[in-house]
Amino acid sequence: MPPSLEVRLWMYTNMVKSRRYEEAIKLAYLEGKRPLFNMAKGPIPGEMHLSSGQEPCAVGVCAHLRAEDAVTATHRPHHIAIAKGVDLNGMTAEIFGKRDGLSGGRGGHMHLFDPTVNFCCSGIVAQGMGPAVGAGLAAKLRARDGVAVSFIGEGAANQGAFHESLNLAAVWNVPVIFVIEDNAWGISVAKESSTAISRNSERAAAYGMAGWFVPDNDADEIYAVAGAAVERARSGHGPSLIEIQTSRLEGHFMGDAEGYRPKGEVQALWARDPIVSYRQRLVESGVDDARLGRIEREQQVAVDAAFAFARASNYPEPQSALQTVFA
Amino acid sequence: MSVTKRRLTIAKAMSEAIAAAMDKDPSVLVLGEDIGRLGGVFGTTQGLLDRFGADRVRDTPISETAFIGAAVGLAASGMRPIVELMFVDFFGVCMDAIYNLAAKQSYFSGGRVPCPMVLMTSVGGGYGDAGQHSQCLYATFAHLPGLKVVMPSNSHDAKGLMLSAIADPNPVVFMFHKALQGMGWLGTVPGSIVHVPVEDYTVPIGRAQVAKPGQDITLVGVGITVHYALEAANSLAAEGIDAEVLDLRTIAPLDRDAIAASVRKTRRLIVVDDDYTSFGLSAEVMASAVECSVDWLSTPSRLAYPDVPVPFSPALEHPLLPSASKICERVRSLLRRRAA
Amino acid sequence: MNSPVPVMIPMDLWDEEGEGVIATWLCKTGERVDEGAALAEVMYEKASMEIAAPASGRLLILIEAEAPVHRGQLIARIEA
Repeated sequence: MPPSLEVRLWMYTNMVKSRRYEEAIKLAYLEGKRPLFNMAKGPIPGEMHLSSGQEPCAVGVCAHLRAEDAVTATHRPHHIAIAKGVDLNGMTAEIFGKRDGLSGGRGGHMHLFDPTVNFCCSGIVAQGMGPAVGAGLAAKLRARDGVAVSFIGEGAANQGAFHESLNLAAVWNVPVIFVIEDNAWGISVAKESSTAISRNSERAAAYGMAGWFVPDNDADEIYAVAGAAVERARSGHGPSLIEIQTSRLEGHFMGDAEGYRPKGEVQALWARDPIVSYRQRLVESGVDDARLGRIEREQQVAVDAAFAFARASNYPEPQSALQTVFA
Repeated sequence: MSVTKRRLTIAKAMSEAIAAAMDKDPSVLVLGEDIGRLGGVFGTTQGLLDRFGADRVRDTPISETAFIGAAVGLAASGMRPIVELMFVDFFGVCMDAIYNLAAKQSYFSGGRVPCPMVLMTSVGGGYGDAGQHSQCLYATFAHLPGLKVVMPSNSHDAKGLMLSAIADPNPVVFMFHKALQGMGWLGTVPGSIVHVPVEDYTVPIGRAQVAKPGQDITLVGVGITVHYALEAANSLAAEGIDAEVLDLRTIAPLDRDAIAASVRKTRRLIVVDDDYTSFGLSAEVMASAVECSVDWLSTPSRLAYPDVPVPFSPALEHPLLPSASKICERVRSLLRRRAA
Repeated sequence: MNSPVPVMIPMDLWDEEGEGVIATWLCKTGERVDEGAALAEVMYEKASMEIAAPASGRLLILIEAEAPVHRGQLIARIEA
């Protein structure tokens, strides 16, 4: 059964918002980095990991989540943060290293924390999984039907924390959902060179939990599977593992020459852009093209406003670097 | 006899050293994330996969505990693994294999089972990579018995130290600073790109080097802080202050003799460290200096990174880093005071 | 042969039209270089390539680091 129109439009809206956001980030990130790409320069220094192509994973799952449900994410967090409802102004100011950022510029793009919607992310592969187990356990101990979700990449499935976290979640019957966004690449290493089996969702069986595999980066299918997983968790049936075959349209990080990717692969993925095909599906199901156009314009406006806010915001005072080490 | 310069980046020097060792010794192999086809995110293994093949140049899954543990086992079995930990900050997921296994293998076996392993890893910040990708952690590794820790400040030393590290029967943590590496997409301090001889040669582990001799004050640095100190010494020379710059080259075992010789001469000391201030390298150098008998002209001093996680925003991070101008200021203030 | 040898960005160093950039000069103006020695690192579309000396002699740099370059551009000379 497909999601309701309301849900579909919510998902489309957030996918469009994410994509416009990543496009704007890309432009801002490249400022000051021409002609020589020096990662330290420009208004957004450091690494940048864009989520273009992976938007369906974020919206399909987050459509089922409440503000109090905890989400942990990775170094590629923007689409998930947006779908979770993270304050866009604060997030953008944080990415620009400004005082009005979510943590006053201390965290940056890989360490975004928004406790009002229980979202956080960090940069060491798979290490957000344990905290998601803990958040799920807290919900269970408080006898609330909250859930926790840990988003990871397929590379994380080979890291020790993955195995420990799945086992612990199952042993304690924790309401946590582990979502693998499989974009087939761990920087330059293809999944088939690094992973002993072809479907990580099958690893769920090794840990006594439900596992699902979703091909084709389809928001509606992800929504259906995530719905089942969230329902299991909320009703006390414990953890699940969802594996989604998605696509990484940009490099691992901005600046990645991607010489390791087979010729034509990226173009082929762009030709199957999930947002384009979802829009097509909406139109075919009777949604007015003009309505979709309105959504697209509104999201562009929202993204532009967040960027304007970030640019207008001041840099933090140096002495604030020494604060909040301890609460 | 050619007198021309052959300048290499540290990345090139490292990969050249590894290739030379792999060429001579079939038991040398390389493991790590993205070290095969990509040649290493920081260029440390460029050209190796094509030359030596996938059996000896192995891309790994993101499984540090397993592949660094595997390196320990390879070493115990008589092979000489070189393993890359992409960012030193990742040590948290695999430290047991490093400090409890690699570092203690010789000791627990009474010297019968050595661990001839090189762990190469990137360190350093200053380019916006924030709290989990910008750390130095020199002391974290140097503190643990059984590990040697080295860090070159230039490509000549990089090649020589790498060849020494591979030949060493003990586990050597070979740190390379990201700001010295020579990657096109990250700024590089030009002083790190120097002439590198074509032939094989070693730089001894455990021996510091005077990068610039002087009489008035000793500036001790390692990696990038050597370059800050040299820049400071240059400015200070114009003011008639003759600073001596000591490049540690090896963090553990610390060359305490070299530190002692220098501070006995100059009787003033500033340690420059881009790692966290407390409980670290700067304290160890100062303690070692204080333990010699020196008739100090001023109290030993340190310039190090404060005890805070590395913040993302350049407005926050950059003022915290040591720099040539901070060193100059400190030198001037020490020379104005007299020892009690 | 006394005329200086040009050092150029090879026409086939990268595939499409477009600007690269000299990331780093590995040698300095006035230095003697050997034929085949690495002179500079050039970046195009985030990939890094080396420019080798076409002859032995004294290097004269014409285009500084961080400057954009196109294929076929003259970036230095080597004087015998």
